[in-house]
Amino acid sequence: MSLIGADVRIEVAEEHNPDRKGGADREFVGRTPWQLAWARLRRDRVAMVSLGFIVFLMLVAIFAPLLTALIGHGPNTQYSTTGLSPSGIPVAPGHNGFLLGTDDQGRDVLSRIIYGARISLEVGVGATALALGVGLVVGLLAGYYGGWIDALLARFMDILLSFPILLFALAIIARFGPSLDLVLIVIAMFSWPYIGRLVRGQVISLREREFVEAARALGSSDLRIMFVEIAPNLIALAVIYATLLIPVNIVTEATLSFLGLGVLPPTASWGNMIAEAQTGDLFTVAWWFLVFPCVALVLTTLAFNLLGDGLRDALDPRHGRSNIIPPTKQQRVLAKLRKRTAREAAREAERANA
Amino acid sequence: MTGSDLFEGVSDAEDLLQVEDVVKHFPVRGGAVRDRATGQVRAVDGVSFSLKVGETLGLVGESGCGKSTLARLVTALHPVTSGHIQFKGKEITTLSRRQMRPLRRSVQMVFQDPYGSLNPRRRVGSILTDPFSVHGSLSRGEAKRQVQELMARVGLSPEHYNRFPSEFSGGQRQRIGIARALALRPDLIVCDEPVSALDVSIQAQIINLLEDLQDEFMLTYIFIAHDLSVVRHVSDRIAVMYLGKLVETGPVEEIYSRSRHPYSASLLSAVPVAEKAFRSVRKQRVILTGDVPSPVRPPSGCRFHPRCPKAQAICAEEEPVLEQKQGDGPGHLTACHFPVTAGEALALASREDPSSPDAAPSLSQGAPQ
Amino acid sequence: MALLDVRDLRVSFDTDDGTVYAVQGMSFTVEAGKTLGIVGESGSGKSVCTQAIMGLTPGAKVSGQALLDGVDLLAMDEHELEGIRGSKVSLIFQDPLTSLHPLYRVGHQIAEVMQAHGKMKRDQAEARAVELLHLVGIPQPERRVRDYPHQFSGGMRQRVMIAMALALAPALIIADEPTTALDVTVQAQILELLGRMQSDFQTAVILITHDLGVVADVADDIVIMYGGRPMERADVEAAFIEPHHPYTQGLLQSIPSYSGRSGRLRPIKGYPPSLMRQIDECPFAGRCPHVQDACRVAPPPLKPVGTRPGHVSACVLPSDRVGHSFDGADDPVAAGSSRR
Repeated sequence: MSLIGADVRIEVAEEHNPDRKGGADREFVGRTPWQLAWARLRRDRVAMVSLGFIVFLMLVAIFAPLLTALIGHGPNTQYSTTGLSPSGIPVAPGHNGFLLGTDDQGRDVLSRIIYGARISLEVGVGATALALGVGLVVGLLAGYYGGWIDALLARFMDILLSFPILLFALAIIARFGPSLDLVLIVIAMFSWPYIGRLVRGQVISLREREFVEAARALGSSDLRIMFVEIAPNLIALAVIYATLLIPVNIVTEATLSFLGLGVLPPTASWGNMIAEAQTGDLFTVAWWFLVFPCVALVLTTLAFNLLGDGLRDALDPRHGRSNIIPPTKQQRVLAKLRKRTAREAAREAERANA
Repeated sequence: MTGSDLFEGVSDAEDLLQVEDVVKHFPVRGGAVRDRATGQVRAVDGVSFSLKVGETLGLVGESGCGKSTLARLVTALHPVTSGHIQFKGKEITTLSRRQMRPLRRSVQMVFQDPYGSLNPRRRVGSILTDPFSVHGSLSRGEAKRQVQELMARVGLSPEHYNRFPSEFSGGQRQRIGIARALALRPDLIVCDEPVSALDVSIQAQIINLLEDLQDEFMLTYIFIAHDLSVVRHVSDRIAVMYLGKLVETGPVEEIYSRSRHPYSASLLSAVPVAEKAFRSVRKQRVILTGDVPSPVRPPSGCRFHPRCPKAQAICAEEEPVLEQKQGDGPGHLTACHFPVTAGEALALASREDPSSPDAAPSLSQGAPQ
Repeated sequence: MALLDVRDLRVSFDTDDGTVYAVQGMSFTVEAGKTLGIVGESGSGKSVCTQAIMGLTPGAKVSGQALLDGVDLLAMDEHELEGIRGSKVSLIFQDPLTSLHPLYRVGHQIAEVMQAHGKMKRDQAEARAVELLHLVGIPQPERRVRDYPHQFSGGMRQRVMIAMALALAPALIIADEPTTALDVTVQAQILELLGRMQSDFQTAVILITHDLGVVADVADDIVIMYGGRPMERADVEAAFIEPHHPYTQGLLQSIPSYSGRSGRLRPIKGYPPSLMRQIDECPFAGRCPHVQDACRVAPPPLKPVGTRPGHVSACVLPSDRVGHSFDGADDPVAAGSSRR
């Protein structure tokens, strides 16, 4: 029953944190909120590793042609002599210059994965960017105006969110034929309400804040309030949830390609690589051309999700944990360290005496 | 140099602001299926007063009395439900949003919360440039210069132009809020609890600043606060609100020394004072029973009657009119059927008295009304 | 012997941004049946003091002694402290909305205090809860004992907290800003209630607040904190009539005068010090108009000043220099010429 004491530590720390309401009044030369957030992110190892991976992946995607030229194998070329054994079995990783082996058609798995990264990032990030744009605008309008505008837009978003996207994609693509652009648009069309609803919720709470009232007292127009006052407060939310939306969209693209609705072979997409690999039972002996695209997909999705979590902690530190390191843990670490240095000092002393 | 042609200067003799029978009700939304109004919060329920140029009117009352709502009605942040507000002789309750724009140059507000009233994602220079960009155009350079001058005038370093609000302390943020209100040289500034969220030593700095600015820029203030010592220090006149109505108004010294309304008397006596001179007089406390009733269903007749030590039958039936009572100076108005008379000792619940606190406080019968 | 004797209390927290030295050497005593007011502005460390003493600061480094009837609270483990909390020492906080569990009835929560200490059976405890509610002035206690916290107003909730605090007739109640969130008239009711409870039960009270008016009304003794250290300790008359420490004088002077309109307020210039380091000088040195070299060498110890017993001040100024106004101008803060 006792709720007391639990967060005293956080309160004390935050009392001296100038960001916090009620913080002590003092001459403060502080850092901007962005600098503080970046500092917090830097401390999060997991997030930084994920960020590193994503940057690496982007570089790989951008320099795909250069990389494949360096490797010496194109992504769609079937190397029937070097890439397949005489009986038609794909070459294992590390042999014949194929770092990750070849697939059932003798194509270099590594090169295909590099180009697959291109597709995944293009569609994943592209669709998310589009979804972000639409979601922000719709969310702003719905949240700020309320009333019938909100009722209309909110219901619309709910409908889109409950739509069976795959069935719809099937129908659209059956009608218009599969293409990368179509896939991107379809994915964006069904993912923007995810952002839109979050933005709407945030705007509803923001519009009651005193600084919005102050802007109205000055005579600012609705448009100005929406874009100059409210929008900057949405950046954090947008960044976090866009980062978390990207892996969802990447997987959706992979799913569509897997089903043959997205990127069609011979163009490499991680999705269709997986699809091709698991037809037949060649993969039971040549596991690599199924496993590696799976691994690529999993790692990418994981990296974005972990980065998104890290961003959420960095940009909205109240969200969960406390920032205090309990001294008992510190003491334990210090004690171990002291023991180790004492041991080393003792060994040195022995050696000196000997 | 204030306002546009819609609101020209007004002479000293006239009222800057006239509020007449202003009412503001907020619907209480309920209903399981349809979101209909199941009741009304009668936040402001018929308030009238006027304000002269250069005056400071202190508006006091406890939570739920409607003072913040009244502030927002005067600054046209909320539309009135009924009533009239005239600023410089011009009726403002019927203005469209566009017509209201020029009014904004003349009437501004300083908010209570120094942490919430500034957009945390905007730099201070940008926030302070707003008044200039919304109401006309200045070149970037000229705007920056004016903003920095403004910052210096309220005691901030102009070099902090590019800082975010979170990099300032509470007192400094309040100065930013004051600078924002001051930017267009308004005639009237409504201060809604401007120092309540600040530490004592900072409060004094901000109060001094507000007073200096008033002298320098010939401002008129409506000063809302719950700290009665602060209100007494800054105000010329006081208005006491209770549950959406004014119960007493008058010159500050008269109200503090000779308040006629039982609620005002208890409010003033309830303030704990640090003053050594005051402490030596063992002051009798008027302790009210119960809490402030809800503004959705205010009591009938005089709203204070359920808690009033002097209440009688008529108080539950008939609402008293705000008027000058016998023996008071002009401008001192009270809304009470049985105003407190000189020498009357109101209900006492002093510390030596072990009587149960929920018995009706007794009244030592002083001179009859 | 004093009921509570705190000696050289130091509390620090490790945070991401560095170590916060919230309390840097606090000492005070509380006598049985008396009220001690701990006064300070935000960041002075006043709340952390008592929380640390009661073991409510997990993760903090606490040193010093806090002797309750001769037994050191700081040396106790959590189990022992739990035995003390609620029965020997009770706490009341500023916001009863967050201190009361929103999902349990009020009567249940009060009864739980008594049951947790093994003092009573369930039905006994619940009957006692009704008694306590009546004691603190809640009308219709038999009915209201079954209500939830949100069904009470702010003032009523605070009364419930007081009832909980009194349940086991503690020797000491620590009230941390109990009336800050309340309206003035409700504040008066609560202070009056606390005072009555104190005289009826002879409970000692530590009242933590930033409001000098409240302590003037209610406290017997006062300790004024600044920068994590005590600046001045005295009985309440001495503190207000003969303040010694410049910070106390400055505080008194910056409050608008209730008794009449004085001239311009004279606030203390500057800002409180950062507690991110141990301050090895007088924490007020940066803002004090009488600062000398001696002030910057080390924090001045508390020394006896003035004419009344027990009046100590952490200042190097002469002990008989009391009652002066802050900036040395010897006109007292009284009704002066009006502002206009």
